[in-house]
Parts: sequence; C-alpha cells; structure tokens
Amino acid sequence: MIAGGTSSGPVIQARNIRRVFRSSRKGEGLKGALKLLARPEYQEHVALKGVSFELEPGSFNGLIGANGAGKTTLLKILSGLIPPTSGEARVLGFEPFKRPVEFRRRISLVMGQKAQLWWDLPAIDAFDLLRAIYEIPLKDYRERLQLLSELLEVGRHLNTQIRRLSLGERMKMELIGAILHWPSVIFLDEPTIGLDVLAAQKLREFLRVFNEREKATIILTSHNMDDIERLCSRVLILRDGELIFDGAPNGLTQAGHSRLRVRLRETPSAEELSHVTAVPVTAIQVDEAEEGETKAIHFTVKQDRIVAILQALMQRFHIIDMGIEEQSLESVIHRLYVEGELRS
Amino acid sequence: MKFRRALGHYLEIYRVQLKNNFVREAVYRSNFLTTLMVDVIWMGVELSLFTVLYANVPVISGWTKEQVFFFLGIFFASDALFSTFFQRNFWMFSDLVNKGELDILLTKPVNPLFLALSRWVNLTTIFNVFLGLAIAVRFAQPAGFAGGWLWLTVGFWLLVGLASATVLRFVFSIWVFWTERSFALSRLYYQFFHFATKPDALYPPAIRYLILTFLPFAFIGSVPARALLHGLQAWEYALIVAVLTGFFALDGWLWRKGLARYQSASS
Amino acid sequence: MKLEWRLAALKNGFQDATAYRIEFVLEFLGAALVPAAIQWVLWYALFTIGGATEIAGMTHAELIHYTLVSILFTQIRGGDLDFELGEMIRSGQLSNYLLRPVGVVEFIFLRGLAPKLFIAGFCLALGLLLSFFTELSPFRLVASMGLALLGNIIYYQLSASLAAAAFVWEEAYSLLMVKNMVVNLLSGELIPLNLFPASLSWVWQSAPFYLFVFGPTQYALGRWSHEQFLTQLGIACLWLVVGSGLVRLTWGLGIRRYLSLGG
Repeated sequence: MIAGGTSSGPVIQARNIRRVFRSSRKGEGLKGALKLLARPEYQEHVALKGVSFELEPGSFNGLIGANGAGKTTLLKILSGLIPPTSGEARVLGFEPFKRPVEFRRRISLVMGQKAQLWWDLPAIDAFDLLRAIYEIPLKDYRERLQLLSELLEVGRHLNTQIRRLSLGERMKMELIGAILHWPSVIFLDEPTIGLDVLAAQKLREFLRVFNEREKATIILTSHNMDDIERLCSRVLILRDGELIFDGAPNGLTQAGHSRLRVRLRETPSAEELSHVTAVPVTAIQVDEAEEGETKAIHFTVKQDRIVAILQALMQRFHIIDMGIEEQSLESVIHRLYVEGELRS
Repeated sequence: MKFRRALGHYLEIYRVQLKNNFVREAVYRSNFLTTLMVDVIWMGVELSLFTVLYANVPVISGWTKEQVFFFLGIFFASDALFSTFFQRNFWMFSDLVNKGELDILLTKPVNPLFLALSRWVNLTTIFNVFLGLAIAVRFAQPAGFAGGWLWLTVGFWLLVGLASATVLRFVFSIWVFWTERSFALSRLYYQFFHFATKPDALYPPAIRYLILTFLPFAFIGSVPARALLHGLQAWEYALIVAVLTGFFALDGWLWRKGLARYQSASS
Repeated sequence: MKLEWRLAALKNGFQDATAYRIEFVLEFLGAALVPAAIQWVLWYALFTIGGATEIAGMTHAELIHYTLVSILFTQIRGGDLDFELGEMIRSGQLSNYLLRPVGVVEFIFLRGLAPKLFIAGFCLALGLLLSFFTELSPFRLVASMGLALLGNIIYYQLSASLAAAAFVWEEAYSLLMVKNMVVNLLSGELIPLNLFPASLSWVWQSAPFYLFVFGPTQYALGRWSHEQFLTQLGIACLWLVVGSGLVRLTWGLGIRRYLSLGG
C-alpha cells in the first residue's frame, strides 16, 4: 500500500491559478506568413481565471465542464506539462512545472485520446519498458501486473499487439500502463471516451476498487455523468475557466425536487415559460429539438408545485406529452451553467 | 555513485527498447529483405555513378577510383549506423509534437529527449554497416590505406560520422515546434545530404567551407575517410571538436526554446 | 459529371500546394538546385582541378549547359504520390475512395499534377526567357516540355503500379525508394547519360526514365535532331500504353484482393 501525501495535509493545492496562452494570428496567404515571421500578432486566450481548491489524499475527484471550460488545461498544469501564468500549484508538496524526478515518479497522466503504449507491440513488452523507466523492482512488477490484469480481465490479451485489441481492451491496457508504478496521484483525462457502456462500466468499477484499495488520489475529467456520479466523492465544475462548484455530488441535487418533462405544441421561450408558470428561468431547461420533434422542456421544482405548473401550462399551451424524471447530475450542471450565464 | 545508478537506469531502458524493437521487427519479417535491398541498390547507384565518371578520367581532385570507393564504404557504414539508431526517431519527431505524444514523455521520470530518440531502432540496417565496411576493406589496399593498427581507429571515425549526422539532423527536425509542417525541412536535409556522398576534396572552396562548418555534412563520411587514408591536419581535429560541440550546444538550445514554445502555446 | 471531379481534383491539389507556399518554394528550390550543384561540382573537379579537356566527347561548357538546362525538366515528374497510394492501401483509407465514383489512381494523379503543371509553366517561362539571350530554340523548349510532361504520366503509371505492391506486402515503401534511386540515376538527373560507356548504354535505353530529363534536355540543347525527337516521342507513347496496361492490371488485381480480404 502507498500513502497519498507524505504529510497529512492536502495532496493537491491550487491557489488562484490563471492560465493565459497566446496563439499567433496568421493572415491570409504568403503575405500573412511573411508578416508572421516579421511582426507576429498574438491572440490571447484565458483558459483558467484564478482557480483555487485543495484535495485530500486518497480522494476521488471529478472535474467537469463543457468543452473549452479549462479541464484539460488544469490537468496539464497539475501534472507539470505547462506552467500556470500566475498562481501556485502544489502536488505532493512539489511544484509541478519544475518536474523534479521524484514528482514524476509518483504521478500518472492518462489521456483518453492519446495512447502512451506503442501500437505495434504486445502490451506485455510496452509494460516492460515502463518497468524499466520507473525502475519497478521485478517482484513488484510481476505482482502488480498479475493483480491488474485480473481486475481488468485482460490476462489473455497481454501478448497481443495493441493495435489488434478492441478500443475497450486498449484503454484497459493504457490504464494498467499508467498504474504499474503505483502512483500516488493519477490524472485521468476522459478515460471512458469512445467506450461502449459495458466497457466503460468495467473501467469505472476498476478505478473505484483501485482507489479504495491503494488510496491513490484520483482526478478524473469526463463528459460522462455516470463516471462522475458513481465514482467521485467530490466534484469540481469549471465554466469558462472559473470554478463554479466545489463539493460533494449529492450537494448538487436538491432534496425534495423533481424534474417535470413536458412537450408542447407551441415553442415558447424560457422567459415566456417562466412568466407563465412562475418558475425561475434557471430551473427551466429547453432541450435542443431533434428533427421532426417538439422540444422537451424540463422544470426542476419541488414536488408539490407540479400540479400548479401543469395547470398554468394547460391554460396557455397544448401539452402533447409529459412525465416526471429523476433529477440527474447533467441537469444540475445545466442549471449551474445557466445561473452563471444570467449572473454574468 | 549517483551517476552509476543513473547510467544503469538508462542502459536498462535502452536494453528494453532494443528488445522491443527486435520483437517488432520479428513481426514484420518481410521488411528485412526489402530494407537491405534499398540500401544495397543505393550503394550500387553511388558506386556506379563513380564508375561511370572514372570510365572517363583516371583521377578526380587527386582521388583515385579506389580511394573514392574506400570513402564510400566508410560513408555507407557511418550512414547505416545512423539509420539503425536514429533515422526513424527523427522522422517520427513531428508526430511527437503535433499529436501531443510529447506530453506523455514529459511526465516520465527520465529525460524526454532520451525516450524520444531511443524509441525506434532499425536492427536490420546493422547489416549495412558491415556491408559498408566490407566495401572499405575490399578497396583499402588499392586506395593506399596503411591498415594495421589503423583499423582500430575506424570505430572511432564511424562514431564521429554518426555524431555529426545526429546533431545535424536534429537541427532540421526541431523546427516542428515552430512550423507544424517540418516535412519540407526534413526533405531539405536529405537534399543537402547529397553533398555528403562525395569526398569533400571535390568541392569548390565555397561549398567545401560550408560543408565543413555550418552544414558539416563532410564529417559524416568524407573527413573520416580522409583521416584514415592520409591523416588530418591539427586544425582539422580542432575543427571537428569545435563544430560538433557547437552543434551540440545549438541542439540543446533549440530543444529548450522549442519546449518553452510548446508549453506556452499549449492550452 | 466526369469532368467535374477531375477539375475538382486539380483545384484541390493546387490549393494544397499553395497553402504552404514557403515550404513549396523551399522544396522546389532544394530539389532543383542541389542535384544541379552536385553536377556542377563534379564538372569543376574533373575539368578545373583535374585538368581534363573533354569527357565522352563533351567539353566543360557543354556539360555545364546540360546541367543548367536539365534543371528545367528535373522537377516535372515525381512528387510522393506513389508513397501516398501505398500508405492509403496500408492504412485502409483506400476504402473511403472506393465508395466514390472516381478512379482513385487517377484522382491522386490529378491532385499531384496541379503543382507540377504550375512548375512546368514556370520552368517553361524561365526557359523562354533564357532563349532570348542564348541559342536555345523556343520551339524546341516547348516540345521538350511536352515530352517531360508525358514523362510525368509514364513515371506516375509505373510508380502507381509499384505502389500496388502494398496490396500484397502491407507496405511498398522500400520498393518505391529503390525505384526513386534507380530513376534518379537513369533519368539523367545526376549525370548526362552519354557518360555511360557505350557498352552499358543499353541499361538506360531499356527503361523509359531517360525520357524524363535526359531526352528533353538533349532536344532542347539541339543535340537531338527533329527525327530523333519524333522517334523518342513515339517510344514515349508506347510506354504510355504499357504503363496504362500495368496500372489496370496491378490495381485491378490488388483491389480485388483488398475487397476479398474485407477492406
């Protein structure tokens, strides 16, 4: 077993992290290219706008947000790939961007879209290289490999070239490769992307067990709400580079609230609906309509308000379809996003 | 103590890389013959080019046909060493940066450049080293090579050739941090590389100056062959040391600059 | 429309080449000037240092003329289209093309032809400009460029046929590299082919490669008579027929194999 941090304090600290990156703007054609050489113009983009948090050793944390919200940027800063423009990051007591060897030995970064294992080798040979890189004692290496391949049920694929494996199996191998050195901190960027439901579930189960057994601190980004709901004891939500929520996932779903779904023949705006039903705009979510369908409208409200809302709606509109749904994390995040937009 | 431990660590990584490349090549067995064939034909073309020229004149710039063939043998061997240990790593360099694989390497507790440049080893081309040496041996005597203990220095001169090709190729690959499309530059390297396929004594002063200094292609085969045949002037030894260390420093500088750019542009 | 996708392919190829203009120019200059510089170096070594007066019946000036004029033709053929074809087969991208109503071999050819036409136009203009100041005949230059363009097609046909080896061996890379080196020597790009001893001239004469650079240069320089040129033009047409037959055969067989293996 390995402990998270050396001391009992937080294993990861972020203090007011900002990240601005520049990209050069290229003009049209040859003239633009020459201009780029002579006097480049830069476009500034703020990816993170002062993010602060602390994570406990052994915790399983989810990092969510829309595309471009700054999730991957944050992971890259914490794993030492890029420096923060200002602010301070501490991981395991190290400053990540200095990338001391001792720090690199104790972390792991898995990117769902970038393979670290080389495609033309059987997984076992790729693992052997990782053993050499991390100087894992042979005995530990064998035990861990045995354990991990049992947990993930890939023992019989170890001698198959990675490129011949299915996407799910390949991701499992990636995960084994990322964990073989028993890191104290694991950064997972979209580990279940592209996987089918069953494979994603297997992977999740494995991560849960590994986190429980080995007490490694895990940060996971995902688009998949299932990932977050089932694994994370804590959720960080980013929107446009700002941390808009930090807490337990069950703190997000409001107790006693339900989700009412209706379809109307008309297509009123959220503001109009809010006016008619006296429900705040933030609690109304209008889905993008699929082709040939009416829009589904969701109201997140206290249960005893539902009848009144339906009555108000029927006076003004024609209800085609209705139902009551469980409140999902996804809808909660949507609400948070809308609230944020209204505020700003 | 610390140094020896680090050395052991890196040697072990290199051993596994070698083994893995062996495993990989065993899978693609058909490549073995074709890879050999490519180099054999290439050697054939270079040799026949000079055969054609020497069918018309007995001596070019004081070099006899046998001496040129001896040079070609040394040059082929030196180039085959480069193909074996570095060539593919440099070709893959642009993928490393453009596809973001470098991110993964940067999180490993080893020098990322070492990992990047030890990734691919083409064990097949080792045979071409011997082929080149065989050509050199075959023409050693008629070329006037003194032989004897001098044969022991061949290894050293091949390493000089390998080091020159590596530091030079590096400069042409590193631009991927700035241009995204470094293929053109890689190809430019192979255009300039043609200058390495002739003894430097053949070149007019301006070009000769260039390939001994700013584009030191002459160090890949020509200077080693000349050193073996006639020995070098003292200043030429100094030149080799100066140019190689200069390029080595330049490579390191460009790498750090490139990395800094990579890290500042990345989101 | 049949014409439509062909024009689209040409346009696409042209845009591709011009998107990276600096690289395009750099590559063109490198590829055109370095081999010429090497030739020039050889003549320098042979004549200026070596003190020769004549080689294979040619003087220093004649050889330099050859080197300079050959630059106009060396960049007409080629590109790495055959490598592209081989890679498409290997990676399975070929499947995307097979679904479309276009001939994939021709599509890739047309895309690569666009920048070559541009280069041909540029080189021809350069040659015509030179003809004002030299004895080069404009008529001969135009005809030579025509032959070089025919050579471009023959070269592509043979290259594409070789690339079809990827259907069987997973990769055609090595084969294509070998082809490149042989073509380099036998096209007359490295040295004029009449430097070959008479006993070896059958080597270059039995392949079509001399029609790419050596032939056009000889005619442009007035070293081939009009009759000789017409004969060679006839031979080029024969090679065209052979080449098109080879492409049909190799790709027909290859695609059948590709499909039967499930793409």
